[in-house]
Amino acid sequence: MKKKWMLPALLAGIVAALAFSSPAVWAQTAPQRIEVTAKRFSFTPSEITVKKGQPVVLVLKSEDVAHGIRFRELDVNVKVKAGGTSQVEFTPDKTGDFVGHCSVFCGAHHGSMAIRLHVVD
Amino acid sequence: MRRALITTAAVLLAGVAGCKATPPGKLETGTITFIKHHITIGNKKEKNPLPDTPETRADGKEAFGHYCVACHGMDGQNTGVPFVGNMSPPAPSLVSPQVQSYTDGQLKRILDYGIKPSGMPGSKGILSDDELWSIVTYLRHLPPKGSQGVPEIYTH
Repeated sequence: MKKKWMLPALLAGIVAALAFSSPAVWAQTAPQRIEVTAKRFSFTPSEITVKKGQPVVLVLKSEDVAHGIRFRELDVNVKVKAGGTSQVEFTPDKTGDFVGHCSVFCGAHHGSMAIRLHVVD
Repeated sequence: MRRALITTAAVLLAGVAGCKATPPGKLETGTITFIKHHITIGNKKEKNPLPDTPETRADGKEAFGHYCVACHGMDGQNTGVPFVGNMSPPAPSLVSPQVQSYTDGQLKRILDYGIKPSGMPGSKGILSDDELWSIVTYLRHLPPKGSQGVPEIYTH
């Protein structure tokens, strides 16, 4: 008899927990998806802002040759093949401004191909 | 007048034809090395911001492989470079005291701006600062001569 009520009670509990949880909690845990396009020799957008502690899905699309983005200080590196799409998930654990560079040699101005990441509280 | 002109031109041509890239002597090498180390190549005091870790060395090796290897070989000691004997001034072995006695800052300056009028080109903007500093780290830990084989561009 007890077992009969256990499953509905458990489901009701889960539903109640979801219903009463704050939207702010959802916002903090849901990954922030950011799409960046790479084309010799720039990234679009060239600046992105994310929140500390909030997971980020960084999607990198190439419009020409192979490229990459590496934020050395955050230990983040994503590489994409020519014309392809790739993604990396990470959670920034410190605030500040970080410069990411193209991590796949792509030609004459490869070294100046950069993107700025702002991590805020 | 015309004969004098032709004679002068012939002598000049003969002089130019006699020019040949020969290895520099000890005096020339010593003088140029002194000038580079103490006068023309500055930035002695800048420190490498990257930690000297296996990861940084691996990054440096990869960045070095983009095109430094065309003249310096995979090992930085000219292994497999087919024209190494025809360069004037010659590309030095990067493990030599002549190169290793530069400070990290000086090596970075050379990587950034090259050495004129030698064949060493600058790479600022072509490679990022991160990559260039990682190459400086790699230069301090070059592998044994010949251990890396021949650059891929010379294998086909």
